[in-house]
Amino acid sequence: MHTVTLNLYRMLLDKYQTRTNFWDEMALPNGEKRSHYQAIFNKLNSIDLDVINRKEEIARKMFMNQGITFTIYSGDEGIERIFPFDIIPRIITGAEWQIIERGTAQRLKALNLFLQDVYHNQNIIKDGIIPLNIVATCPHYNREVFGINVPFNIYVHIAGIDIVRDSDGEYYVLEDNLRTPSGVSYMMENRDVTKSIFPELMSEYNVRRVSDYPLELKKILVSLAPKQNQNPCIVILTPGIFNSAYYEHTFLARYMGVELVEGRDLVVDNHTVYMKTTNGLKRVDVIYRRVDDEYLDPLVFNPNSLLGVPGLLAAYRKGNVAIVNALGNGVADDKAIYSYVPDMIRYYLNESPILKNVPTYKMENLEERQYVFDNMHKMVVKKTNESGGYGMLMGESATSEEIEQFKNAILKEPRSYIAQPTIKISTVPCYMNGKLVPRHVDLRPYALFGPDGFKLVSGGLTRVALKENSLVVNSSQGGGSKDTWIID
Amino acid sequence: MSIYKIHHITKYRYDRIVKENTNQIKIFPFPNKEQEILSHELHITDEPIIQKFYDYWGNATAYFTVNQPHQELIIDSRLIVKSQQKEINESLSTIADWNQLNSYIHNDIILFDYAQKEIIKQQAVIENIIQMIDFKSKSPLQAVKEATQYIFENYKYVKGITTVETTVDEIIELKSGVCQDFAHLLLQILRNQHIPARYVSGYICPNKNGMRGEGATHAWVDVYLPNVGWIGIDPTNNCYANQNHIQLAVGRDFNDCTPIKGTFKGPANQELLVYVSVGYEDGSVFEDENTVQLYKETPASAPILPIQNQQQ
Repeated sequence: MHTVTLNLYRMLLDKYQTRTNFWDEMALPNGEKRSHYQAIFNKLNSIDLDVINRKEEIARKMFMNQGITFTIYSGDEGIERIFPFDIIPRIITGAEWQIIERGTAQRLKALNLFLQDVYHNQNIIKDGIIPLNIVATCPHYNREVFGINVPFNIYVHIAGIDIVRDSDGEYYVLEDNLRTPSGVSYMMENRDVTKSIFPELMSEYNVRRVSDYPLELKKILVSLAPKQNQNPCIVILTPGIFNSAYYEHTFLARYMGVELVEGRDLVVDNHTVYMKTTNGLKRVDVIYRRVDDEYLDPLVFNPNSLLGVPGLLAAYRKGNVAIVNALGNGVADDKAIYSYVPDMIRYYLNESPILKNVPTYKMENLEERQYVFDNMHKMVVKKTNESGGYGMLMGESATSEEIEQFKNAILKEPRSYIAQPTIKISTVPCYMNGKLVPRHVDLRPYALFGPDGFKLVSGGLTRVALKENSLVVNSSQGGGSKDTWIID
Repeated sequence: MSIYKIHHITKYRYDRIVKENTNQIKIFPFPNKEQEILSHELHITDEPIIQKFYDYWGNATAYFTVNQPHQELIIDSRLIVKSQQKEINESLSTIADWNQLNSYIHNDIILFDYAQKEIIKQQAVIENIIQMIDFKSKSPLQAVKEATQYIFENYKYVKGITTVETTVDEIIELKSGVCQDFAHLLLQILRNQHIPARYVSGYICPNKNGMRGEGATHAWVDVYLPNVGWIGIDPTNNCYANQNHIQLAVGRDFNDCTPIKGTFKGPANQELLVYVSVGYEDGSVFEDENTVQLYKETPASAPILPIQNQQQ
C-alpha cells in the first residue's frame, strides 16, 4: 500500500509541466532539470506525500503562531491575513547572484547620486539628461527638503529593488523601491521555517545566510548618528498597529534592540528630537521611519497627520537627527523617472547598465501613448506614484471595459501613468494540493547602503502569483512568498 | 525712496493651557534690490532659539518651538526697511516675446512651477477673460496690465467673505474677495497663458492716496517677462508694486508664503490677534488691529484633536 502511494506521488512530481514561452527556473523545456535543482527534486521524489503534507502543515502553524500577517486595504472582509507561504525554496546560483549584486550596487549608486543632485545643483537637468518637467511634475519631488544635506550624502540606506526574469532568462529591474520598502521580515521568517522543515537540504546546499540583516542595518543606523554621540539612541517610527507592515516594525525593533515609537512619543525642542520616557526626555539621534514623507511633519507637510512629529524637518535640516531613508526619495523611484535610470548610470558613473530596464512608455508623449492605446492587450499600465499592485491594469487579461476606463483615466492625467510591455516573468516549482506546479515569481532582494559601502543580503523575498497563469505577485493581489536560497 | 518702520505683532490666546507649540514663520523681507533692511528685531514669547534658512522659493524661513505650558504666544517683529521703486520700461516687452516664454519655462524648474495652472471647474470663465483681453495681440506686459485692470474693475473688494482656503472657483462665483483672492485669480489667468507668475505676501504702506489692503498686510503678484525680468503688479489697487509694497515671501500660492503657521497640543480654543503699524520718516503712524476668532467654542462632546493647527 505504502509503495503504491509513493509511486503515484513520484508520477505527480515527474509530471511537472512548464509553460511554453516562459523561463522555468527548475526545468528545461525538454523536462530535464537544471543542475542546481536536481538535489531538491530528488529529495522530494524520495519522500512520502504525507511527509511533504506534514511539512506544509508545520510551516503553516509556524506562521500562525508567530502572528506573521499583512494587511489588505481593499475588500470588505477582515483585512489582516496570513501571508501564504510555499514550502519549496527558490534556488539561485552564486554566479547568477553576482550579476544581481553588481547590477543593484551600480543602480543604487547612480540613484543615490541622482537624489543628491536633484536636491542640490540639478546638473542632470541642466545637462539635458532628464527633462525638468518630469521632475517638477513628480508628486514626490519634495521641495521642502531641497538643499538639505544628509550624513555622508547617503539617501537610500535601504532599498528593495524588484527584479524579474524574462523568457530568455535575462534579469530586469521592474521597480526601485527607495522609500520604505517592506517585506524583509518575511525573508527572515521564511528562512526560519525552511530551516525547520528541510534541515538536511539546507546543509547539503550550503545556503548563504540572511540572518545578519538586522545587525547590518543597525550598524548603518549607528554610523549615521550626529558625531557627538558615542552611544546613539535609535528608534523605529511606526504609523501604528493599523499599518500593513506593523508586524515588521515590531520584528525589526526586537531584532535590533531599539525602541519602537509612534509620532506622539516624540517631541522636538530647540531643533532636537526627544523621546518621552518614564524618566523624562531622552535625545533621539537616528530615526528609522516607516512613515511616508507627507505624514512625517504636520507643520510642513499634511497638517492633518497625527502620525508625525511637528518640527521634525527642522531638526533634520539642522543635522541634529538622521532619518532613514532620507526624505524626498520618492522622486527617484517614480515610475516615469524609472525610464531614465540607465541614463543616470551612464551620466553619473560613466558605465553601461548591468541590469536591464523594462521599456517604458510615457503617456504624456503623444506617439508613445498612441502606440500603447493600439496595443493595450500587450501592456501593463501603472500609476506612476503607486505601488503594491494598486492602480494597475494587466492588458492581457483585462476586459474591454477596464481598458476603456484606463484609457480615459490616462487622457485625464497623462503624467500619472506609464505603460510597459508585459514581461513574461519566470516560473518556479510550487507545491500545491499534492502537485508540483509552475507559478510565476519576482524577486525583491534587500540592499543596504552605509558609509562603509554597499551590501546586498544574500537572499530576498520571492513573491509568487499563486493563481495559475497569473503574472501579478503582489501580496495585496493574492500573492504568496517562498524562501530564496543563494547557493555556492 | 522711502523708509518705513513696520511693527507686526501676532498674538495667539488659548482659553486653556497648551504645550508643544511648533511654528514656521516667513516674515523676513524678501531679498531683492529694491528693499534694504536697516534693522529687524524679532521677539517671541519665552525667546526660543529660532533656526533660519532659505526655502525652495528663496524665502527666509524660520522655525521655533515653545514646549512649556502656556496660554499666550506672541510673535513681535519690528522692521525698518528702505524701499525704492523699480524702474519699469514698458517698451522692453513686445509682442514678439510670446515665443520666448516657452523656452524660459522649460529651462528653469522654478519658472516651470510658476507657470503651472490649476485644474478648476470655472475654466471657461478664465478663457473668456483671456479672449476678451486678446492676450496674444499685444505685448505680454500690456496683457498682464489689462488682466489686472479687469479684476480691479469687475471684482468687488469685500472683507470677511473669504478665507485663506478660498479657491479660485469660489472667488469666481463670489465675484469678490480681498487681496489674496485677487492675486490667486490673476495667477490663474496668467498661468493659462504660460506666463510665469508668483504669489507675493508682504505689507502695503499706505500713503495719502489710501491704498486698499487687509490692514497693512497685503498680497499681490510678481510676473516674469522676457527682457523685463520680475515685476510686481497689484490687482487690488490696479498698479505696479511700488515703493509702498514691502515684499516678505513668494511662492506658487498663499500656502507657500503663509506668514505664520503652527501646531500645538492641548484641548483649547484659540483666538488670533494681528496688529500691524507702519511708521513714516515724518513720524506719523498708521495702525490696524484685527481680532480673528479661529475656532468657535468647541461643544463639550466634540473630539479634541491631539494636534491642532494655527495659521495666519
